[in-house]
Amino acid sequence: MNLRDKLRAVGGTGNAQKRPAETAGDCQHLAVYRPMEEFPGALSLRAETLRMMSDQELPDDLDPRRILYLDTETTGLGGSGTVAFLVGMGFLTDQGFEVHQFLMRDYPEEPYLLRHVAAGMGRFDVLCTFNGTTFDVPLLESRFLMNRMDRECLDLPHLDLLHMCRRLWKLRLGRCNLGRLEEVILGKPRVDDLPGSEVPQRYFTYLKTKQISLLDDILRHNAQDIATLCVLLNHMADLYLHPEQITFGEDVYSMGRALERLHRTESARRCYRLARKSRVGDLAGSALAVSYRRTGEREQAAEIWRGMIRERRGGVTPYVELAKHEEHYRKNIPEALRLTELAISLLNEPSLRQGETVQQTKNELQYRYHRLRRKLKETENHGNYVGVQGQQGHETAAGREDG
Amino acid sequence: MNVSQLADQLRRDHMFMKDVTRWEVIPARPARTLPFPASMDARLAPVLEKRGIHALYTHQAHSMEATARGEDVTVVTPTASGKTMCYNLPVLSAILKDPDSRALYLFPTKALSADQVSELYDMIEEMGVDIKTYTYDGDTPAAARKAVRQAGHIVVTNPDMLHSGILPHHTKWVKLFENLKYIVIDEIHTYRGVFGSNLANVLRRLLRLCEFYGSHPQFILCSATIANPKELAETLIGRPVTLVDDNGAPMGERHFVFYNPPVINRQLGIRKGAIPVTRSISGMLLKNGIQAITFARSRLTVEVLTRYLKDMVRDPLGNAGRVRGYRGGYLPGERREIERGLRAGQVDAVVSTNALELGIDIGALDACVMCGYPGTIASAWQQAGRAGRRQGTSIVFFIASSAAIDQYIVNHPDYFLHQSPENALLNPDNLYILLSHFKCAAFELPFEDGDGFGNAPAPEELLGYLSDEGILHHVEGRYHWSAEDFPASEISLRSAAAENFIIIDITDPAHHRVIGEMDRFTAPMLLHENAIYMHEGRQFQVEKLDFDACKAFIRSVDVGYYTDADLNINLSLLDIEKEEPFAKTAKAALGEIKVTALVTMFKKIRFDTHETLGFGHVRLPETDMHTTAMWWTLPPEVAAKIPSDRLKNGMLGIANLLRIVCPLYLMCAPQDIAVVYQVKSPITDQPTIILYDNCPGGIGLSQKAFGMRELLLEKAMQVAEDCPCEYGCPSCVGPVGEVGEDGKRTAIRLLRELTK
Repeated sequence: MNLRDKLRAVGGTGNAQKRPAETAGDCQHLAVYRPMEEFPGALSLRAETLRMMSDQELPDDLDPRRILYLDTETTGLGGSGTVAFLVGMGFLTDQGFEVHQFLMRDYPEEPYLLRHVAAGMGRFDVLCTFNGTTFDVPLLESRFLMNRMDRECLDLPHLDLLHMCRRLWKLRLGRCNLGRLEEVILGKPRVDDLPGSEVPQRYFTYLKTKQISLLDDILRHNAQDIATLCVLLNHMADLYLHPEQITFGEDVYSMGRALERLHRTESARRCYRLARKSRVGDLAGSALAVSYRRTGEREQAAEIWRGMIRERRGGVTPYVELAKHEEHYRKNIPEALRLTELAISLLNEPSLRQGETVQQTKNELQYRYHRLRRKLKETENHGNYVGVQGQQGHETAAGREDG
Repeated sequence: MNVSQLADQLRRDHMFMKDVTRWEVIPARPARTLPFPASMDARLAPVLEKRGIHALYTHQAHSMEATARGEDVTVVTPTASGKTMCYNLPVLSAILKDPDSRALYLFPTKALSADQVSELYDMIEEMGVDIKTYTYDGDTPAAARKAVRQAGHIVVTNPDMLHSGILPHHTKWVKLFENLKYIVIDEIHTYRGVFGSNLANVLRRLLRLCEFYGSHPQFILCSATIANPKELAETLIGRPVTLVDDNGAPMGERHFVFYNPPVINRQLGIRKGAIPVTRSISGMLLKNGIQAITFARSRLTVEVLTRYLKDMVRDPLGNAGRVRGYRGGYLPGERREIERGLRAGQVDAVVSTNALELGIDIGALDACVMCGYPGTIASAWQQAGRAGRRQGTSIVFFIASSAAIDQYIVNHPDYFLHQSPENALLNPDNLYILLSHFKCAAFELPFEDGDGFGNAPAPEELLGYLSDEGILHHVEGRYHWSAEDFPASEISLRSAAAENFIIIDITDPAHHRVIGEMDRFTAPMLLHENAIYMHEGRQFQVEKLDFDACKAFIRSVDVGYYTDADLNINLSLLDIEKEEPFAKTAKAALGEIKVTALVTMFKKIRFDTHETLGFGHVRLPETDMHTTAMWWTLPPEVAAKIPSDRLKNGMLGIANLLRIVCPLYLMCAPQDIAVVYQVKSPITDQPTIILYDNCPGGIGLSQKAFGMRELLLEKAMQVAEDCPCEYGCPSCVGPVGEVGEDGKRTAIRLLRELTK
């Protein structure tokens, strides 16, 4: 056996093929133009709206035409052998939306493609992608490095719609991929689309056959993805400005959480209040109360917990939280004990599924219960003793216990 | 009773001493030191002095000097000789001098890296300098990984992680690759066979990337005592190394006791088993409060012995935490707990497979009991080294089993005490392994026309092949990766098979829990359905083995037996590379074969008496392996003169003899090769004895055996002729019950013909 035969024996199949080599002086450049009607309100997007959605540092005078929407098509899922063979870059103009696509017809064209990307990015203030923080940008970074080119063009403020969408819709939708968002959120399901998982193989087949038409589906898919980024961003911005328009309580509540994450407490509370009447009212109520507690508005928080207990909503959480409030803030140990007892009896209801979390909550409650009993006893004993010294001594003692 | 007292008492015990074939006392040895070398940063001296170190052992000083001269260094010293200093001092000195410097530490296991890092942390903390040491392995949280990549001065990892987690993502490690000054590889003696051949290729990939990033790292390698550390190191890294082996560390007095269990059936030449003897010696140490480690060859024996020892010390509640079992397959947390217990003195006895041979820190033990010869001299010394790491008297018992190699060692203690340990062989150019890593390399960085891959042969052939296959795309002088796969995920460095089986305890239906794992080749032997699987002395029965999903479901049981599976091996020829006649009409050949392994049945064996209680069938798919082999074909006219059943017994005898002789002369572990015989071989159509490398692709043992094809037969004949037994015994052709009354005679007759 010669070495080549041995390699075939070791490596399995023998499907050798010969391909013509190709030389290039530039990569392929394509452009797609979409009318403005597809992007309603996009030109009036303001930095302050985006700041409700993202903690990226955005220029105050942000021009929506200087946001770059970018998506790559790649030969794999990562690692330094994965190459972005197609980079699409879209942006708004006064007339509509333009997508410029740079396609590497073979590997030697990669440096040209990267140069176009670098030059293109330099003309924009903000980058917008879908999962770009973990995929597209590190991949391009890696490609720049492999071609010994400067990667600094990638350092733009970056709106990653995947994370922003997850924050808003994960509770309701579960998975948040672009196709599902188009279908459910934007109401425009895609037809005849090439599944992303088939892209690399399609490209390799093209490399072998050099039939450029094989790439048509990929180019269309890429251009559509990029247009969707722009539509989605503006749709989200609209929702942030008018949360009362949102039909689903889950989404309003999720928006509240997203806003609170960026310390927009008032806007967040507005969302929680809106969501209290919905299916996730308990969650919203709890979130609102926690939000009050966090800013030291303990009485407002307690009032919400009390309301939830009156309406028999939210399970044991309101009892537990109210017990904490009574114990640590109001120093009303007997009331805290009463609430804890109620919580324990609630957990012991046979209807409740006895999973691990329930058991853990039970253990915590038992612990709290015993601590409160101890405190109550100490306070009583101490109270008798300090009775001689007067009220002040009693308070000091209580304060120490709390610490 | 302490060790000295116990040794004195045993030496006066005639019943015990009559079975001792040798009591060797290795005297204590004082330290040899040299002052701190100039290349050591001045800030390190106070830290060392604070630990009572005012000078370096000779090997430490010499390795530092060689490193300072810019040489690649290999340090060979026994356990506990302070070898970590040999790399920590130069690395820390380099980083203190230039904070941009980076170092990469490779340890074969996670446990080892954890130990070494904590020592490094302590030194860095005492100096109060900003040197960041990070461990990067499968347990590193995702959130911490970025910091490791950006800021780690010293990155501690293992070959597997380097292979699949770092090299394929090298663009995220720019800082490391651009500034890599030292590559430290500890315990290089573990990198033999498949693992070593894989590592050599991982290093080829690493050095290729360093070249891309413009760095030129130096190697500091450490090894336990083996015969060929320099050759091993040079094969691993593909460059010449400077050997430092003048061990200057002190050592306490050590007693080495060779014990051969008495013959209990003179007719059949059957000796008392090594397990019951080990049970009583380890038990005696346990009773006397002497902290000891007992090594057993198989996982099964470990479990059996653990159970025996636990039974001795069980408290009324049934707890026996002072005795622990330890082996591969236990989960990391459990292992760490046992290691801590040993260091803290809470564990008095541990029974282990060779898993504890490596430099895992378990502190100094007083005694070591080897239940059976671990297979190689190097590994026997490693195991013995577990006792008496500190100064002070220690004792090692070697209990011979009836296996031929054990009998050889116990009857020739001089061979063991004076023979240099084995060679560690590896073959970076094993085509399977090379091709896999070549793909990884092509993924990591495109090859260009004329590029090499370390010193691998014929890279242009590999590139051409991969282009033909459409895996690489050759255009304008470069070979681009053009497949969707992530090639590093297809290789496991430690075995030829990629995935491990996980072992799930389903005793409690509400809480299935994973209690261990096992490699794909061992699983059919130990995890077939109805096997009794032992874990920490507890018995489980395998309820279901899902071969495709690589899962074994086991349930706790309490039965009085264990199980032992039979392995069936089939061979078929792939290619003949060389063929040479010898002894007139006999032939020897070298080539490639396919080995098909199949477990068909198992035995149930009773505890204590070890009698066979019954059999069971196993239905599992075969496993295939392509490997290199060499074979001896008997002259047809000689074979024709001997009746076939007698011929069969004679050939079995020769195969048994070769199993004893070959590891000694090839200087490998017995399990690295396999010897089988076929009366009518499908390979040659003639009576044939076949020796093959017991790993996919082979690591060069068959080639070596082919080179000594006549010598091996001569040595085999010598063992048979020198053996005083009449009809055969386990120390030569095998017991009479196995080879028949004419086995020995026929074997010698055939060997005479073959060595004419």
